[in-house]
Amino acid sequence: MHMLRMLSLASGLLLGASGLTLQAETAFAQVTVPGVPRSQTIILENPEGTIKNPGWFNIWTLNAGGQFTGLHQLALDTLWYIDPERGLDGPWENSLASEKPIYNSDFTEMTVKLKSDIYWSDGVAFTADDVVYTVESQIKNPGMRWSALLSLNVERVSAPDAHTVHFKLKKPNSRFHALFTVRFNAIWIMPKHVFEKAGDPLKFDFNPPVSLGAYKLHSFDPNGKWYIWQKRDDWQRTTLGRYGEPGPTYAAYVDPGPPDKRVIAQLNHNLDVVHDIAPEGMFTLTKQSDSLKTWFKNFPFAHPDPTLPSVIFNMQNPAFQNRDVRWALAMLIDIKAVSMAAYRGAATLSPIAIPPTGTHPEDYHVPLRDWLASFELDTGKRKIRPYDPTIGAQIADMLRPSMGDQIPTDPAEIDRAFGYGWWKADPQAAAELLQKAGFTKRGNSWYMPDGKPFSVKVMVEGETRPILTRAGTMIVQQWRQFGIDAKTEVAQGTMLDRRNTGDFEILISWSVETYGGHPDLSFFLDSWHSQFVAPAGKTQSPRNWQRWASPELDRIIEAVRRIDFDDPRTVELGREYVKLMVREMPIIPLMAYNVFTAMDETYWTGYPTAEDPYANPVPNWGNSRAMMVRLKPTGK
Amino acid sequence: MKPYLTYLSKRLLQFAVVVFVGINIAYVVTHSTPINPVEQTISAATAYGSTSPEAIEMMRRSLSELYGLEGSPWQQYLSFWQRVLVGDFGPSLSAFPTPVSELILRALPWTVGLLLVSTLLTWFLGNLLGGLAGYYRENRVLRAFGVVTAGLHPVPYYVVAFVMLLAFGYLWPILPISGGASMAADRTDVVGFALDVVIHSILPVLSLMAAGIGGWFMGMRSLVSNIVTEDYVTYAELAGVRRGKILRHYVMRNAIGPQVTGLALQLGAIFNGAIITEQVFGYPGIGSLLISAVHAGDYSLVLGITTISILGVSTMVLLIDLLYPLIDPRVEAA
Repeated sequence: MHMLRMLSLASGLLLGASGLTLQAETAFAQVTVPGVPRSQTIILENPEGTIKNPGWFNIWTLNAGGQFTGLHQLALDTLWYIDPERGLDGPWENSLASEKPIYNSDFTEMTVKLKSDIYWSDGVAFTADDVVYTVESQIKNPGMRWSALLSLNVERVSAPDAHTVHFKLKKPNSRFHALFTVRFNAIWIMPKHVFEKAGDPLKFDFNPPVSLGAYKLHSFDPNGKWYIWQKRDDWQRTTLGRYGEPGPTYAAYVDPGPPDKRVIAQLNHNLDVVHDIAPEGMFTLTKQSDSLKTWFKNFPFAHPDPTLPSVIFNMQNPAFQNRDVRWALAMLIDIKAVSMAAYRGAATLSPIAIPPTGTHPEDYHVPLRDWLASFELDTGKRKIRPYDPTIGAQIADMLRPSMGDQIPTDPAEIDRAFGYGWWKADPQAAAELLQKAGFTKRGNSWYMPDGKPFSVKVMVEGETRPILTRAGTMIVQQWRQFGIDAKTEVAQGTMLDRRNTGDFEILISWSVETYGGHPDLSFFLDSWHSQFVAPAGKTQSPRNWQRWASPELDRIIEAVRRIDFDDPRTVELGREYVKLMVREMPIIPLMAYNVFTAMDETYWTGYPTAEDPYANPVPNWGNSRAMMVRLKPTGK
Repeated sequence: MKPYLTYLSKRLLQFAVVVFVGINIAYVVTHSTPINPVEQTISAATAYGSTSPEAIEMMRRSLSELYGLEGSPWQQYLSFWQRVLVGDFGPSLSAFPTPVSELILRALPWTVGLLLVSTLLTWFLGNLLGGLAGYYRENRVLRAFGVVTAGLHPVPYYVVAFVMLLAFGYLWPILPISGGASMAADRTDVVGFALDVVIHSILPVLSLMAAGIGGWFMGMRSLVSNIVTEDYVTYAELAGVRRGKILRHYVMRNAIGPQVTGLALQLGAIFNGAIITEQVFGYPGIGSLLISAVHAGDYSLVLGITTISILGVSTMVLLIDLLYPLIDPRVEAA
């Protein structure tokens, strides 16, 4: 019985430990550092997770440390920003620059006028020398992050005075300023006075970082789980200062763990902003949280990012070189079922190759509706009009019985939430298009013109990107039902390598990413020029993953290159691109990349929403810094 | 003494061969991965920003040079062994230029602390209770415990972990659900920080114990059930030896051998990390580090962790082989 007594002792110790945890409960609920009151702290998710190398803040080296730890959102700054939504004062923001970029007539020179009275957090004034140093040091060190881009473009950079920078370019580039314009990020400006004393910039950790933004580093977890930034006393001397005082005194960027833990953390009010969760997680929060704020007040709740998940054909594969085949595959997609499978209906659809977000609907989706409605497709036997503007309303009707009042009824709101229509599923038209392309049907199976079975493999990423994997799986199922031997390939960690080397037939991913708040499409479109298409088997550079080469597209891209960023013709050329993409269908656009950002109003109010779209709420975007000046404490 | 020295030298040679072969297999496997670290780095760096295809080509060349990926495979292999022999695994490719050893040393104490405590506690309690259950077969509490552990044992670990997460993190939120220590922990206050670490480790440790105790319990109960039918046990009971003494010296001592071997293997495997535990509970450690290294194609880091793991398991097996004669008098070195 001596051993049973030992057992009792062990049980007692365990119970004692439980007592300790009960005592710790109150402290656990208030997860902040001593001296950092919860009521003055906003806690945001960093989707990078745990940072392997937490003490590394030198963002100018390649992926050596964390970037979305608050570092690029709150501590760094650059010349301009474009908000993917409406912005605090319009989507375009002159940040360190005092005005827009000034080009010469042939776009071989760019002059930048800088703001005065902007200071680094150590009290040193920001000047043109910092910009020049940023450019020159990266050109000198090929291992630095933006070295290649600057080496290719810049022949000479100089500072005629403390607040003017002059770039002489190696070749005409009307979009050179985009390198210093934050969409998600950009070339951040380096503190010359710190780096010039640091020796080799590739080996310098920049710890603690000297800030140009309105916040400076307060503390960080040596295990890389969290970072806390503190509002600078001299926040007026930063570029954010002109919009007023930032609300939170402290901002903590944390790794809250897997999706279920993010939901728990927010329900416990320990995580104010969840970066992204699965639709099911968001639906749980809408039911259980009484302090939840979402981008759309009602379904689909999520923020549509200016990124366009699509069915991407490998255009170097002979099976997909006939546009009738690509259109046939598009006609077989029942987008309502795809929307339900991927996002449980919470998808913002786009029939055209531009994401339906920010200002794009006004520039592209709405003005092109009539053209889409009159667009005719020749199936070989008849002409059809495949566009259906009512798809969004149909999805809303499908969801209304289960989601009730959360589904909007106003047609304009339905358009914004569920997208601007899509293509009608039409298996008969698909069959006619395949027959036109020389395909035949025997029994229940389709055969290619060479007599081989029509088999396609659709590559999806797997559990690391569940939404797109679900979409791809549903599309494969629909193609199989029609008699195509379609299969899903789960690439998991090999996705990037296989995508880059063209080791796929069809891919569910995205090759279209835009500014969102500006109609210019060069951000992704310039890289689609045929000059950059890699031969089959060689590595393709971003972002033309479909490896599509089109003389007509080249003409549009070259025309964009010759005009100014703000030239009204950018919209006209953008619409030409849209029409070409509809006719050729090298990718089948599906929907915006909806990000289920969940915001908790227990401690803070004033988050951006579709009704007040002053910023992108997704907290790893560089321009999410705009939130800070609109957030107000609740006093709890 | 001579037979033991002969045994020792043979065993050490065997150890060296196992380690050499294991590290070579790890080298071949990691270098055969279809994940290219240069492409991973470029994709991460250019995923959201302005870029141009020409610049990407320049970046590829720079990174290959920077990461030391140039040169023939044979040259890379020789260079790897030159570094490993002096304990240098080179720089991490996904946290360049930080040395791999620095990343491992930062993560290792958390994993070792968590798994050492949970493994030893699970082993001790599982064997103690299993031994008692095998000997005191009529005890209702122990029988009930046997039913519970038998029911819990086949449940996948991640299910156990998630249930505990929900139970103690949300329904009755008395325990922290993430991290190795709270943000509020003052690391200069050694006692306070240690207490905070202990509190953060309770849920992961309990989940590991809940999932692992059944195996030890049932194994020990089964071993003891066999031993209690042996003649020498019956003789001791007839001779009036106290039951507690019989259990400790006649039964448990004879049953513990295979369990000690199992413990040694588990202790060696500590260096693999507890990947699911660390992921579910957001616990900092070698398992999470390994997963992120695999995803990034950072084979320097994967090789560093794998080498430590190979050394850990092999060393523990060697030690147990050398110590076995002390634990079980029936075993002789020769």
